Amino acid sequence: MDVFIQIVASGLTLGAMYAVATVGLSLVYGSLNMLNMAHGAILTLGGYLCYAGIQHLGLHPALALAGAAALCAVVGLLIYLGAALPLLRAEGFETNVFIATIGIGSILENLMLRGFGPYPIPQPLAVPGHVVLGNVHVPLQNLFILGVAVVLMSAVAFVLERTRTGRAIRATSMNREAAQLMGVRVGRVYAQVLAVSGALAAVSGVMISSIATLSPVMGGDPMLKAFIVCVVAGLGNVYGAVVAAIVLGLLEAATQYILGVRWSFATLLLIVILVLIWRPYGLFGRTQVVRL
Amino acid sequence: MTPVKRDILIGLVLVAAACAVPFLFPGRYVVTQATLFFVWAVVVVQWNLVLGVGGIFSLAQMALFATGAYATAMMGFYWKVPMLAAIPLAGVVTVAAGMLIGLACLRLRGPYVALLTLAIAQVLYVLIVNDTACFTTTGGCMPLFGGVRGIGQFGDLGFRALMPKTWHIAHYFVALGLLVVAVAMSIVIIRGPLGLAFRALRDNPGYAVSRGISRFRYQLWIFAVSAFLTGIAGGFYAVHFRVVGPTVFSFQLLLFLIAMIVVGGLGTIWGPLLGAAVLMLADEGVKELSDYRNIGLGLLLVLFIILQPGGLVRLFSRRPKRAADAKTG
Repeated sequence: MDVFIQIVASGLTLGAMYAVATVGLSLVYGSLNMLNMAHGAILTLGGYLCYAGIQHLGLHPALALAGAAALCAVVGLLIYLGAALPLLRAEGFETNVFIATIGIGSILENLMLRGFGPYPIPQPLAVPGHVVLGNVHVPLQNLFILGVAVVLMSAVAFVLERTRTGRAIRATSMNREAAQLMGVRVGRVYAQVLAVSGALAAVSGVMISSIATLSPVMGGDPMLKAFIVCVVAGLGNVYGAVVAAIVLGLLEAATQYILGVRWSFATLLLIVILVLIWRPYGLFGRTQVVRL
Repeated sequence: MTPVKRDILIGLVLVAAACAVPFLFPGRYVVTQATLFFVWAVVVVQWNLVLGVGGIFSLAQMALFATGAYATAMMGFYWKVPMLAAIPLAGVVTVAAGMLIGLACLRLRGPYVALLTLAIAQVLYVLIVNDTACFTTTGGCMPLFGGVRGIGQFGDLGFRALMPKTWHIAHYFVALGLLVVAVAMSIVIIRGPLGLAFRALRDNPGYAVSRGISRFRYQLWIFAVSAFLTGIAGGFYAVHFRVVGPTVFSFQLLLFLIAMIVVGGLGTIWGPLLGAAVLMLADEGVKELSDYRNIGLGLLLVLFIILQPGGLVRLFSRRPKRAADAKTG
C-alpha cells in the first residue's frame, strides 16, 4: 500500500509537470502545424531566469516565476516574428519551421551554457516540509507542483472554452482558412499561442528544476517526453495531452519502481510505439480525412 | 546534355580532383580531415534521400550510423570477425534495424515520425550510457555495448600494418570510394524510378496513388536502401578511429549534419555534398572560436532556412524554381 501511495504521489507530480510542458507544444502544433523543437530550450531558460531573479536580483519567488514566464513569452513571440512568420509565406512550412526551431533551440541552449556555465545549480524556488500519508512522506514541493499545474490547466481550459480569444484559437486549429474567412486574425492567434506556450514552458522548467537541478541541457529530456505525450494523445489535442501526460507520469513512476530508472524511458517508448501502430493518429486524435 | 550525363560529368571531375588531393597536400592533417569529410558526406547524401527525396522527417540517421559502427565493433571484439567482412555485415544489420524503425514509424504522418525517430535514438543512447553491468572482464570490466567509454580493440582494415607511414592515404581512398558509391546511388535514386515515384506522389498524390504507387512501400524502400550505406559509413568510422563511443549519438553532431543538408540544398543531388564541404571548411576556419561553434551552427541553420531555403546549389541552378520544387514538405 505504501509503495502504491509512493508511486501515485511521484507519478502524479511527473504527470503534472509533463502536462504543463505538453499543453504549450500541443497548442502550437494544433494551430500552426508547427513542431517547436526549441521548446526544451525555452523550458530551461525559464528555470534559469527564475533562478537569476531570486538569486541575483533578490526578487520574491512568486515574482521571479512570473517574470520568467513573461520573458519566455517574449521569446515565444520572437520565435514567431523571427522564424515562423517569414516561413509561413513560403512552401514546405512544416519541414522548414521544424529545422529552424532545431537551430533556435541550439542557439538558446549554448547561450545559456555561456551565461550560466555547464554545472548543475539547485533551483532556489523550493517549498520545504512534507505531509505524511500512511507511512509515506510526500514533500510539499510535489503538492505545490500539482497545485500550480491544476491552476494553470484550469486557466488554459477557461481561456480556450470561455473567451473570444480561446474561440479564435480553437477555430484556427480546426480550419485555418475558414477561421480567416470568418474574420479571425490568424496571425494574431499564432502570436498569442506561441507566447502562451513560451510562458507555460517557463513554468514547467521552474517546476522540473525545483525537484531536479538546473543545467543547460535539462530541457531535452522533458521536451522529448512532452513530445511523446503529444504523440500518444494525438498532436494538437490539448485535453487529450493532459490526460496522456498524467497517465504516462504514473506509468513512468511505476516502471521506475519495478524495472529501475534505466528502463523507464525505453518502456515508455515501447508503449508509445505499440499505441501508434494500433492508432496512428494517437489515442484521442481524430482520423483526419485527407483530401487529395 | 541530359541531367544524368551532366551528373556523371560533375562526378568524374570531382573524383579526379579528390584523387589529386593527397599528392598536393601530403600532410596527415589535411588527409585525415578530408577522410572525415567523406564519411559525413556519405551520411548526409543518404540522409538527404530520406529527408529531401522521400519526404520522411527522420532523425534516426545517426542512430543508424551508430548501429553500423557498433555492429562492426562488436563483431570484431566478441567474435574476432575480420573487418573486411564485418563492415558489410554491419551494413546488413543496419538495413534490418532501419526496416524495423521504418515499419514502426512510416505509417505515421510527418511530425510523428520526427518525434519517434528522435526518441528512439535517445533511448538507445540512454541505454548504452547507463549500462554499467560487466558483460566481459577480459581486459577490465566492459558492459555489452561498452558503456560510456565505448568499444575499442576490434581490429582494423590492415593498412596500418601494411604501410605504417601512409595508411591514412589508404583510408582516404577507401572513404572516397564509399562516397562515390553513395553519390552514384543518390543519382540513380533521384533520377530513376524511385525518384519518379516520389515526384509523382508530391505533384499529384491522388493520381499517383490511384496508379498503384504506395507511399508507404516506397518510403520503406528508400529508408532501407539509405540505411545500408549509412551503416557501412558507420563501420568505416569505427575502423578509422579504432573506437566507437556513445558520442556518435550527440545532438551537436546531428545538428552539424542537418546543417550540411540545409546549407547545401535539401532534396538535390549535389547540395548535401556542397553543404558538407562548406561546413567542414567553415568549421576548420572557426576552430579558435569553438565555444561559439554551436551558436553559429544554429544561426546558419535558421538563416538559410528563412533566407535561402533552396540551399547553396540553388545559386548555381539555371532553373531556380526546380530546386525549390525538389524539396517535399
